[in-house]
Amino acid sequence: MSLIVAAFGFGLVSMSIIAISAVGFTMQFGITNMINLAYGQVMIASAYAAYAVNNAGVSIWLSLPVGAIFGAVFSFLLNRLVYAPFQRKGTNLIGMVIISLAVSLVIANVMLPIVGYYSVSYHQNPGTTYHLGSIALTGEQILIIVLAVVVMLVIYALLRFTRLGKAMRATAANPTLARNCGIPTARVVDLAWLITGALCGLAGTVAGMNSDSFSVASGSEFLIPIIAASILGGAGSPYGAMIGAVLIGEMTEISAAIISPEYKQVVAFAVLVLVMVLRPQGLLAKRGALAAAG
Amino acid sequence: MLASHHRVGRGVGVLFAMLTLALAACGSSTPGGSTSTSSLLIGVIAPFTGPDAALGPAYFAACLPAARAINNAGGVMGHKVSCQEFDTRGEPADAVPAAQQMVASHSNLMAVVGCTSDEAASVAPILNQAHIPMFCMTGQSEFNKTTFTYFHRLVPPDEFDAFAMVGSALDHFNYKKVALVFGNDIGSQAFVGPAMAALQGLGATVTINQAIALGQPSYRTEVTAMLATHPDVIFTEALGPTDATYMAEVKQLNNGVMLPFMGTSATIDPVWFSAVTGAIGVQTVVDKFTAVDLGVSFSGPGYTEFKTNLDAVASQFPTAPKYSQRGATLHLYDGIIQAALAMDETKSTDPTVYNTVIKDVGNGVAGATTVNTYAAGVAAIKNGQKVRWVGAGGLTNYNQYNNSQQGYILVRYDATGNEIKFGALTQAQTAAIIAAGGG
Repeated sequence: MSLIVAAFGFGLVSMSIIAISAVGFTMQFGITNMINLAYGQVMIASAYAAYAVNNAGVSIWLSLPVGAIFGAVFSFLLNRLVYAPFQRKGTNLIGMVIISLAVSLVIANVMLPIVGYYSVSYHQNPGTTYHLGSIALTGEQILIIVLAVVVMLVIYALLRFTRLGKAMRATAANPTLARNCGIPTARVVDLAWLITGALCGLAGTVAGMNSDSFSVASGSEFLIPIIAASILGGAGSPYGAMIGAVLIGEMTEISAAIISPEYKQVVAFAVLVLVMVLRPQGLLAKRGALAAAG
Repeated sequence: MLASHHRVGRGVGVLFAMLTLALAACGSSTPGGSTSTSSLLIGVIAPFTGPDAALGPAYFAACLPAARAINNAGGVMGHKVSCQEFDTRGEPADAVPAAQQMVASHSNLMAVVGCTSDEAASVAPILNQAHIPMFCMTGQSEFNKTTFTYFHRLVPPDEFDAFAMVGSALDHFNYKKVALVFGNDIGSQAFVGPAMAALQGLGATVTINQAIALGQPSYRTEVTAMLATHPDVIFTEALGPTDATYMAEVKQLNNGVMLPFMGTSATIDPVWFSAVTGAIGVQTVVDKFTAVDLGVSFSGPGYTEFKTNLDAVASQFPTAPKYSQRGATLHLYDGIIQAALAMDETKSTDPTVYNTVIKDVGNGVAGATTVNTYAAGVAAIKNGQKVRWVGAGGLTNYNQYNNSQQGYILVRYDATGNEIKFGALTQAQTAAIIAAGGG
């Protein structure tokens, strides 16, 4: 029993990281209609950007914004230079998915000669370990959880209370109508790529901190639970992605404790398949934050 | 709702799900180059991307110095030799098209090296059917008595690695309780059964057997479960960043105290060393980690020739010199030179002619002249002599199944990542463990 409780505690960390990344991923889809399979690779590229700064002697916490900024700029450029031109030509959703998969492979293979195939670790101090019953978390892990909560609140506030958030929701709901109403949808889309890219970069760096070691190949591994959480919650729904992250994060850890570590992803995917059978649109597909007002 | 306005609600969900499931298995193969009839090609078929991406470069690092040695001696009967990577991503599903493409696109293949446990079972039948001599780094026991006549293996099967680890744990350190933490890939899991059988047969206890998914962001739950069993030592092989992540969490969750841990010969690798020391610190690895490795002396004229050529190819492949003490690199270098000398002896570039002579070059026939450099081998052959290759990895002892092995040494790292030998298993120790493990 104590192992399950401990696993629950570790699941809090996992779900925090998945939440930051899945919200960015699902917002990217929700606002720009782009299933970006290069997301995991951008996460890793951002993690390496933060590593470059951290390796130069800067604290990992101060390197974190570098990862976020790198992710924002990289994602913005990726859209402007690669995705948007294809979308303007009318490439369909499946075509865009294939393009993003190709982009992912290109990024990975361009990174290899630059950063090498060696795994790297941040210079970091996990801090004191705090115990609550069987749950044991380091100070760093607690800060990651707090960071995730803050990010979720900021995203909620952005979408709910700001003009930009409303413009994003309008653009997501009907881009043509939004444009006709005077909303600069092109700028909104640019900002959406910057914001979701920042979340991507932040998540990549935090994932690198949590895993203690990462390599170029880690990108595809990071992407799988992100997509799973996004689908589970409902594609395009940030709140759904948050719930999906909670479920995927906890299920993987607790199943590792109860069944076998070998099957931790299998259990998560089994639940995912079950949800897809019973509710193909995902858990919160009808109540997403990006849903049109009214 | 956004998704409904984009008219993709259910469809996107299903598409997402399919993509998610497919991602775990998707990959690509490296496209082949143009076919050349004037030169000979050595295919390096191995994982260059994916969780086992560290393996491919170690084998590529074997090919380049071999090609240099051959080319500096004028090539194989005047044919220059080159190396090309063929990426399997460590997945059988990707390895098959990679191997098929390699064979179909390159009629000038003289030999293929690599084929790890990740892909050997898929690749070896293709190469055998195409009559291409192969030197594989697979440890799978299914090749112990293989019927593939073009298959060659210069390393013992993985189960012998496992037996050597058991010997090191029981005979050198007196550990009695062992936790098995291996990646859930085919290659790593090959160690588990033999290790469990040998440990239990010799009265030791397997406290836990964890097959961990590679590349996960965290293993804290697994580590907590493992620590609860209070092992004396952890046996491990989980490549990529996996061992680094796992061991960092062992140290963290064990109040900063690292347990002793012992790796297979695959963990004697600069990539593994870099990853794990980055995660838990160099001194912790130096103090707590030991491994078993192939019985190679890293000395002698054959090794010197290899080292000279390895250092010289750094301009092409900067990390090549780091593989100077990687057993696999040495042995594959030897395999390539053996194939080249077999071609010289038979005066043929037809694999159906020279393949059977590779064994003779490795083991030597009566009256054969021992050679340690390719140039010396060519000179001896020109003088009408048979040759025996004793190269970087020392003596070769092919059996009837073209399997060769030389025993094990017990090693640890120094602070700079060099391997330090601290013991060896005697024949008697090895025999007792193999018998206990059913090998």
